[in-house]
Amino acid sequence: MNFIFSYFFFLKFINRFQGVILSSLIVLTLCFFLVSISNGSFSFSLISLFSLEESLNKVVLYEIRIPRVLLAGFVGASLGLSGASLQGLFRNPLADPGLIGVSAGAALGAALLIVLGSSLIPEFIFNTFALPIAAVSGAAVVITMLYFFTRGFGYQGITYMLLIGIAVNALASVGIGVLTFISSDSELRGLTFWTMGSFGGASWQIILPALFIISCSILWMIPAARKLDLLQLGEPEAYRLGIDVQRLKFKVIISSAITVGISVSLSGMIGFVGLVVPHLARLMGGVNHSYLLPTSAFLGASLMMIADLLSRLLISPAEVPVGLITSALGAPFFLWLIYRSRQI
Amino acid sequence: MTIEVSSVSYLKNKKLILDEISFEIESGEILCILGPNGSGKSTLLNLISGNLSPTKGDIYIEGQNIKNISIEERAFIRSVMSQSQAIVFDFTVREIVEMGWLQRGLINFSQNFEQAFSKAVNEAAIEDLVDKKFNILSGGEQRRVHFARTLLQSWRPSNSVEPKYLLLDEPTANLDIKHEQRLMKIVKKKAEDGIGVIVILHDINLAAKYSDKILILDSGIMKNFGKTFDVLNKEILEEVYDLPIEISDNPFKIIY
Repeated sequence: MNFIFSYFFFLKFINRFQGVILSSLIVLTLCFFLVSISNGSFSFSLISLFSLEESLNKVVLYEIRIPRVLLAGFVGASLGLSGASLQGLFRNPLADPGLIGVSAGAALGAALLIVLGSSLIPEFIFNTFALPIAAVSGAAVVITMLYFFTRGFGYQGITYMLLIGIAVNALASVGIGVLTFISSDSELRGLTFWTMGSFGGASWQIILPALFIISCSILWMIPAARKLDLLQLGEPEAYRLGIDVQRLKFKVIISSAITVGISVSLSGMIGFVGLVVPHLARLMGGVNHSYLLPTSAFLGASLMMIADLLSRLLISPAEVPVGLITSALGAPFFLWLIYRSRQI
Repeated sequence: MTIEVSSVSYLKNKKLILDEISFEIESGEILCILGPNGSGKSTLLNLISGNLSPTKGDIYIEGQNIKNISIEERAFIRSVMSQSQAIVFDFTVREIVEMGWLQRGLINFSQNFEQAFSKAVNEAAIEDLVDKKFNILSGGEQRRVHFARTLLQSWRPSNSVEPKYLLLDEPTANLDIKHEQRLMKIVKKKAEDGIGVIVILHDINLAAKYSDKILILDSGIMKNFGKTFDVLNKEILEEVYDLPIEISDNPFKIIY
């Protein structure tokens, strides 16, 4: 009982206005889900969802469309949430898993495994387990490294963090480049997938374990919201208010590494979502993490499903890589953010 | 009801910051730490709050070594107001003050929150600021907001016998004289209610007016410790601050 109470403790800090935003976003996410599964190169009426008739359409819907849209939603949620919690941890509004090199680390981890380990690991666990684990490890290494480099720089850490991001991204593209060079044809196809991002490869078999782990990680992270708020006062101050700062850092680093790593291993590098989503959420309703973390998750899911829908519709029946769409929308937003922070 | 600092030394990068400091403070007392810049005042406060661990020596709160008190428990025993860092995101004043209301307090005393909150806001004189954004406030206003947060953290039910201490690092920095006096009066009142206070001040006259005991630090060495008027004498102050100093007796005033 007490456990349940302290789990939902963060809800106390969501004010009425924020509550309205959050609940309408939840409804909106469901709507986008329905819109997304019924549109595409094959269109379905929503009513046909419930008909019992067996048809090709139905196979497409259940075996291809629904897993794909679910994956897009979950990847969006993990990128949004990890962006918000990394920004909170680093006390830095420009932290984004893509910009600061976390996604690149994950991609490098996965690429290393594809080229060097694909012959060693049996195929049936390769995509579902080995690849995500390699990606998560890559992401964890980068976040830990970032943390050690920027510690002590305080607010000035923004510049260092972005510079480290450039270095890690460069390093990852070197790594992926070298791997491309020495890889075989089939490995090559796997590699190119990471540079642009796509949800095309989704199937139940591959996404179910991932969805489970991402959900667990999100549920693990959200109650830490209040602690992230206190961390904004500075580490010594948070400590004085009874927060075990080391444990909190560990939690944010691990959960971001897991969610970003798994997302990257399933859908490649999708940029700017982790940056744009938390900022939009803050503009809508406020900066406290009890509101920000769940809102970023749902907003990320909605936006990602829309981006995926666009990627399927724009040049239908072909597809635009979804990473191109998010970057095309996110990069100008990033420029605007820099312009705005320059004025302060 | 005491905090006991027992021959505490602290080394940083092989440099001796504090050397064999020993003193005791009881609840209900105001202890003021005086000393020039870089004499180790803030380090001493960080050691007592538990942010740093002494290289040598021990600190006891109510006879219990601070090492053996959990981080969460410490937050209940003492609240600290320090020289704070910039806050990046745009929190409202209300949100910042609320951060002082600890999780255990929220769960056990949630019905007392509104009352405790308005009392803290009132004592820190920030009623008009509550709905503003923290980052647009002036330095002095931000100090008062942090003071309100510290007061809220030290809230306890009126029948509580749990020990409480306030550790304040230059609480009056950036404050105008009206708010400075007001803040020190509130601190005095808290001490009368049974809270032990350790405060770092730069203004010797302010220290003389409000404190019960004074500790003078100079380059990490405890120069003097005792009742306010026993400690504040011409020789020690001149030596520590390296300035000619006059003390007039009626009213008590230090002229420099």
